[in-house]
Amino acid sequence: MVKWLIPLGGAIEKDQSLLEVETEKVDLEVPSPASGVLNEILVKEGETVAVGTLLARIDSAPPAEVISRVGGVVVRPVDSDAAGEEHHSPAVRQLAKEHGVDLAHLKGTGAGGRVSKKDVLEFVARTSAPGTTTAASGEPSMGEEILPLTQMRKTIADRMVKSRQTSAHVSTFFEADFSSIASFRTGRDLTYLPFVVRAVTRALRDVPLVNATWGDQGIVIKKDIHVGIATALEEGLLVPVVRHADRKGLTQLAKEIADLAERARSKKLSPDEVQGGTFTITNHGGFGSLFSTPIIHQPQIAILGVGAVQKRAVVINEAIAIRPMGYLSLSFDHRVIDGATADQFMAKVKHYLEGGHWEQIL
Amino acid sequence: MDLADVTSQIKRADLLHMYYYLRLTRALEDRITALYRQGRIVGGCYTSHGMEAIAVGYASALERDDVIAPFHRDMGAFLMRGITPGEVLAQYLGKRTGPTKGKDGNVHMGDLKRGIIGFVSHLADNLPVATGAALAFKMRGESRIVVAGTGDGGTSRGDFHEAMNFAAVRKLPVVFFCTNNQYAYSTPLRLQMAITDVVERAKAYGMPGEIVDGNDVAAVYLAAKRGIAKARAGEGPTFFEFKTMRMHGHSEHDPAKYVPPELLEAWKKRDPILAAERLLVEAGYGDETYFHEILERVKKEVEAALEFAEKSPLPEGPEVLEGVFATDADLSHQATHSRSAA
Amino acid sequence: MTTATSHATGEVTYLEAISQALDEEMMRDERVFLMGEDIGQYGGAFRITEGFLDKYGEWRILDTPLAESGFVGAAIGAAMMGLRPVVEMQFADFISCAFDQITEVAAKNHYRWGAAVPMVIRAPFGGGIHGGPFHSECPEGWFFHSPGLKLVAPSTPYDAKGLLKAAIRDPNPVIYFEHKFLYRRIKATLPTDDYIVPIGKADVKRPGNDISVITYGAMVHLALEAAQMLAKEGIDLEVVDLRTLAPLDKEAIFSSVHKTSKAIVLHEDNKTGGIGAEIAALLAEECFDSLDGPIVRIAAPDTPVPFSTPLEEFFLPKTSDIVAAARKLAAY
Repeated sequence: MVKWLIPLGGAIEKDQSLLEVETEKVDLEVPSPASGVLNEILVKEGETVAVGTLLARIDSAPPAEVISRVGGVVVRPVDSDAAGEEHHSPAVRQLAKEHGVDLAHLKGTGAGGRVSKKDVLEFVARTSAPGTTTAASGEPSMGEEILPLTQMRKTIADRMVKSRQTSAHVSTFFEADFSSIASFRTGRDLTYLPFVVRAVTRALRDVPLVNATWGDQGIVIKKDIHVGIATALEEGLLVPVVRHADRKGLTQLAKEIADLAERARSKKLSPDEVQGGTFTITNHGGFGSLFSTPIIHQPQIAILGVGAVQKRAVVINEAIAIRPMGYLSLSFDHRVIDGATADQFMAKVKHYLEGGHWEQIL
Repeated sequence: MDLADVTSQIKRADLLHMYYYLRLTRALEDRITALYRQGRIVGGCYTSHGMEAIAVGYASALERDDVIAPFHRDMGAFLMRGITPGEVLAQYLGKRTGPTKGKDGNVHMGDLKRGIIGFVSHLADNLPVATGAALAFKMRGESRIVVAGTGDGGTSRGDFHEAMNFAAVRKLPVVFFCTNNQYAYSTPLRLQMAITDVVERAKAYGMPGEIVDGNDVAAVYLAAKRGIAKARAGEGPTFFEFKTMRMHGHSEHDPAKYVPPELLEAWKKRDPILAAERLLVEAGYGDETYFHEILERVKKEVEAALEFAEKSPLPEGPEVLEGVFATDADLSHQATHSRSAA
Repeated sequence: MTTATSHATGEVTYLEAISQALDEEMMRDERVFLMGEDIGQYGGAFRITEGFLDKYGEWRILDTPLAESGFVGAAIGAAMMGLRPVVEMQFADFISCAFDQITEVAAKNHYRWGAAVPMVIRAPFGGGIHGGPFHSECPEGWFFHSPGLKLVAPSTPYDAKGLLKAAIRDPNPVIYFEHKFLYRRIKATLPTDDYIVPIGKADVKRPGNDISVITYGAMVHLALEAAQMLAKEGIDLEVVDLRTLAPLDKEAIFSSVHKTSKAIVLHEDNKTGGIGAEIAALLAEECFDSLDGPIVRIAAPDTPVPFSTPLEEFFLPKTSDIVAAARKLAAY
């Protein structure tokens, strides 16, 4: 093998000189047997090999353009993470407009995951309540009032539905005796909430799987504990986050919670104060609610609802006693944790709530 | 032509009538040329300057219900068939009062009521169409005939040959002519055909052919009459080669420097209008005073025509969308003009 | 005498339907006459005018010289003079010889100076008969682009007869594209009474809800075949037979696509610049809001029609193309 006349990867035409060889008798240029691209050189310049040895490989690719009778159907896979940026076909957009459908809530069954016209029509058929438009016979109608949707309402609506579609919500309910907290509170300016936060953070340390999130690579267990406190506002709700809640004492927790709530109501929260939570607590007992099935605040995997604390007759040591009792409602994501884990966690929360020794973590 | 032959075969009134139209054609086309040079006419501008005897001659030989399929150097025939100078100028100026209402320009005029088949720019396309019109007359047993022609250049096209052939095969009542003015744009005869006389093609298709002096209006008229009579008698087509000279360029923008000046000089002496005047004087049918009168008349007529055309409205933009398709009403209206008068 | 004069109440082929239309129109209207190569003595290359010469004589059935430009031009002249010529192109491929007369003279005539040209040109088009490049062409695209011409293309014996009658009665130049592949391959029972199929009206040959297949000519039958197969898979095709190519029945096309939201445009003619391209553009312009998927075109590749069987088979659109495209489009 004397010389390669075409570089590796170069194009060659049939009968074009491809290489120079030296035999016993003569030096000659060898024309290429085919057109294409010199893909592989197996014998280097200067090497001597026996006749018949494979010298190189030429990739004769078929013509780039294949004449086709059928125009293509190009499918761009839908990017499911790019929420709200999804491209919808004109028919889908038109139908959605006519029927007042928010396309962000639809799961697409079309190619690449796109929302198809069929998906919209089926959604409309499913969600339109039968008979709501039939007026009661003979009675005059009062008409209706339309409240325009605020951005917050749209966001809440969007997030709630998405969360339900994302997580496999399951609920478990526990009851806790709040008497140790109640007696500790006397004379002190503290609500139940800092106690609950405190108990929850300790329980999260005991059952770290609850302080996690669902990821493509696996379940991501967060080492830091940031607790979101669901805060009701006149127009909706926000969930400001108490960062590193496990490192804070009751007084500090109380102060932060109050401050966050105040700034939430006066719209003075910064964006990162409502992000990054790893667990959420919602205090729904304000108007007397006992149980709740709260919706998980994505991308977390559990949310604890605290109901109204009421004096109830309970059995303690085979006798009836009056104790301030409150129900704890946990919604958890069954993709990540099973009932046993959830109950384990809740048992810990109950334990820490009833356990006392509050003066140590004031 | 021999004076005696002329006066014995053509009435005085008819000759004077032809002279009038020679003058009118010349005056009108001169006016068109002037307007073109003034920039008031846009687009193509083709005249029959120095060739007027051909169109006037053959058009004079037609009956009222006959049909012509002319080409672009037949202005005299348009006028004799009843297209007014006002309509011609309106056409050139693109006005709505022209025969095509602005849809087409220059000599692309047609009107079935006046027995004129409008032609297209593709030379010799009119000849198969003329053959078809003649076919219709024969099929219906009518005594109408068609006269159709093209220039020397047009005879190179396939349609010329297909039309001549079909007309001869079916013995159709059509008179074909070739206005051989020796140049097709800049192409002299010798680069268009290997024969000297276009008339040789007639024999190839099995029809009689004749060479006629195209600048002698009486000769053209009598020749046309002969061919028309034959056609009307069911004897089939005849072909005439009218020899003449193109005195202006192919169009008015063409200086035609490719034409040898001595050729033009020679043909100037054979101007058809001067020849007609000489004939009329010889026959005692006219004199200088008369000719001057006619000149004044046609001048006035052309000026009035220009006034009419200038006052006429232009079509409006949206009119471009009208008339692509015919309706049944159009057709039944047309039918009354496509048959013989009862 | 063949079926030319028989007003059969039994089934007739597509070819016989054309023959019947010619015969009936010639009897109804003495202005109608036929011109073409070998149509008289020989009865026509496809025998459509068999017996006509004896019945109508040599001045209504004209055997012409081999001169398409010449005799189409003659038809134009005769039409202007009040007759109703029906010119036969022996094969549509030869229509290019008369392209000049058709597009420059006939098409523009009425527009320019108001003279109607009530002429019909019959053009046997389409492949699948081993005809090669000059006996299988679909030339409708060239004329689609010439304002002033009407173009029709029937796919059934019923439409063939009705459209030819309508064409003959129309005051405009009409090119009648008869698909030679269908000549003897399809049959139907036709009404005995006089009827026409109006020019400019498409026909839904098979109603459906999922995908509109907009097509004409022999391809209509492939579409129907595909529809039968796809029905088993739960894909419901609507087959819209254009019947008239110019002017297009936009209303029919749009209402179909408004309903289904998905469209396949199918024709045997080459793809690039074929009539399908215009239909796809119209859908994109005027049905955009109804579209739930891309407009798919199925057509022959951009080559002349080849002769050798495996080549022609690859060239012609087939039922499996429609099935594959419909599946993909349905799933989109």
